Amino acid sequence: MSRRRARRRREQGGIHYPRWYWPSFASPAIVWLIVFFLLPLYTVVSIAFGTVDPIFRTPLPVWQPWWWTSSHLLEGLDKTFGLFRQVYVRTFWYVLLSSAICLVLGYAVAYYVARHSGRRRTLLLVLLISPFWISYLMRMLAWVNLLERDGYVNRILTFLHLVPESVGWLEGRGITVILGLVYGYIPYMILPLYAFLDRIDVSVLESGRDLGANPLSTFLRVTLPLSRPAILAGLVIVTLPMFGDYFTNTMLSGSPSTTMVGNLIDDSINTPGQGPEAAVLILILMIMLIIPIMYYLRSTARAAQIR
Amino acid sequence: MSHPRERRNGLSRRDFLRNSIGAAIMLPSASAILAACTKPGTIEGGATGGGDGATGGGGATGGGGGVNLLAPRPDRPVTLPLNGMEPIPSDLPIESGVEFQMFNWVDYLWKTIIRRFVEQNSDHDISFTATTTFNNMEEAVAKLQAEEIQADVFFPTIDAVPKLAAAGLLQPLNHELIPNLQKNVWPEYQNPYYDQEWRYTVPYTVYTTGISYRRDVIPDSQIYGMENPWEILWDPTYRDRVGVYDSYRDTIQTALLKAGITDINTGEQEDLDVARDELLSMFDLVNPRATINGSYKRLPQGDFDVHLSWSGDIVAGWGYVPEYTRSYYENLGYWFPEDRLGPVDNDCIAIPANAPHPRLAHEFINFMLDFQNAMDNFSWVGYQPPQNDAQPELLTQTEGMYSQISGWAEPAEYVLPWMEAAVVRQSDFDVGYRQSPLTPEVNDRWNDVWQQFKAGVKAST
Repeated sequence: MSRRRARRRREQGGIHYPRWYWPSFASPAIVWLIVFFLLPLYTVVSIAFGTVDPIFRTPLPVWQPWWWTSSHLLEGLDKTFGLFRQVYVRTFWYVLLSSAICLVLGYAVAYYVARHSGRRRTLLLVLLISPFWISYLMRMLAWVNLLERDGYVNRILTFLHLVPESVGWLEGRGITVILGLVYGYIPYMILPLYAFLDRIDVSVLESGRDLGANPLSTFLRVTLPLSRPAILAGLVIVTLPMFGDYFTNTMLSGSPSTTMVGNLIDDSINTPGQGPEAAVLILILMIMLIIPIMYYLRSTARAAQIR
Repeated sequence: MSHPRERRNGLSRRDFLRNSIGAAIMLPSASAILAACTKPGTIEGGATGGGDGATGGGGATGGGGGVNLLAPRPDRPVTLPLNGMEPIPSDLPIESGVEFQMFNWVDYLWKTIIRRFVEQNSDHDISFTATTTFNNMEEAVAKLQAEEIQADVFFPTIDAVPKLAAAGLLQPLNHELIPNLQKNVWPEYQNPYYDQEWRYTVPYTVYTTGISYRRDVIPDSQIYGMENPWEILWDPTYRDRVGVYDSYRDTIQTALLKAGITDINTGEQEDLDVARDELLSMFDLVNPRATINGSYKRLPQGDFDVHLSWSGDIVAGWGYVPEYTRSYYENLGYWFPEDRLGPVDNDCIAIPANAPHPRLAHEFINFMLDFQNAMDNFSWVGYQPPQNDAQPELLTQTEGMYSQISGWAEPAEYVLPWMEAAVVRQSDFDVGYRQSPLTPEVNDRWNDVWQQFKAGVKAST
């Protein structure tokens, strides 16, 4: 016993740390998780399996699992695969297109900043982060002004004769919502990509060249495979909030033809009597989103093993 | 719920959690209401006691042919229970050295008028900093339930009044302290159907629900010449340029009226199925947008050609045009049935049960029912007060205070002369349709229709 302790002490450079010392470093995060994730999540579950007040129609969470009722869950599932199927499909397409555009544009920008920006790198990074200085609400309101019938976007497009007459961007168009999502989330794509591309050892690229690869195949066979974890990370970071986004759509469209899952949830929350249904929709969305996260975790774990 | 100044923003997730917490607190009061509901007819105080045995769930539906407390109609008026509360005594002095607190919709009362109130009460050293606002009636009710809000006055819609009063969240008014109601306000409000004997509320504004349109796109003669002008909201000519309110009662009722169903409080599933089909066909035909600021702001700005509209929204519309010229004002128009057979309604002012300064609150209510104060407020807010002296003919000929002091704008009458249809008359309440509170069950059915419309699912699938 004492020998083992002595060995441990030797390993730790002669200083004795009590058993709880290192785990205690995790406690703020654990408390945070419990208070701001597990408790709210349990509240959502309790509402989803709970009931509503008969008069005010506000959701009444049922905290005891043995009193839970599954009627709201069944109804929610029924709607998800029936009435709302089109909304889920629409949301999926919007998010797919938006994140693809984010990736293509974001990769190019991140690549430039990481490899070729030279002395202007700091400036460019500051500029990339600068949109965060203004609230998302304000930026979306600014877009509403820019995209109006006689807004600057239409004025420039008609001036350059790119369109015959002004476009009704805000008149309930999916493309506007997709562009809004891209605008809103692209910084989240650029930053992880930049951080990763910046760390790629130049000597790896040089050896690729030395072995006879041209710039294109160096990129395709060295840089791109190396940045795969960053691409996945970026995609996870942008797609998760996009799936739950409702505000972009409310601001830039407002038409039922562009309703996303986030809007369904938002509307249900604001509708008396539909509280449990909103909670069910939240849970369904969460479960759907766990699948890509699992894939992400698995592939990063595998990448770590290879290394 | 259905309100002129309803706004939505990103707060709702937080509200969601808050509601769930609030719900736990108000559970006891709900059983009291259920108990109250089981007694048909006039419901008096004392109903709150215990709620023993009689709290069967069926009580709330009012199936027994008695008057349902929660679903009053003009022909089935209710007297709200006093819950053992009494109005404040008349000799209570006005609170002094205090801050007046108001809980209201965004932009639903002109600041100049509040400032005037504060100045008039300067003897009592009253102060006012800012209005606490809410975005929709559900949020407001939830906050009052949870006693998160302490306000002296509150601005409920009719459908919230019975619930709030039954739950004991409002306090009865002392009529002696509000002489202006009898003196100035339309006789109908001496005894409104949703609050007989005006125990808890006074009326704030009256409005009709019709259609606002751009006269540079749709001439008056066109829409007024139509056999069924509600159909203009379904006209593919204006595809992408049509707006409805993001408010289920108003938009669904429009679909009902378009289909010729005039019971805008219907609980019949057949009627609601018709409304659903109408809304889905509207979605296919014109790709409508559901907005809250579409009529008073975005239509004047040129974002819409035609929009479902509360009369007060389009009356205030001249304040949002890109150029403040008479010739631009002329682009704004309002349609309401010429026989006045359309939706007509009013909003209220009430005092929460936990108001910190109830005497001052009475003072404010009486102040708002003063003719000049009410009219000056009208000139800014666009929503007409039900004042006896506000002669309908004069409203389209007289410039309001807001226009007078707006140096940047060409003058505007209270109601622009070519929008005479937006003037609300007392007689409108004799023939028009009142949007009345629905029972929770019926309300759920309405919400189902709305949910399907909002999901934007094509009718064909």
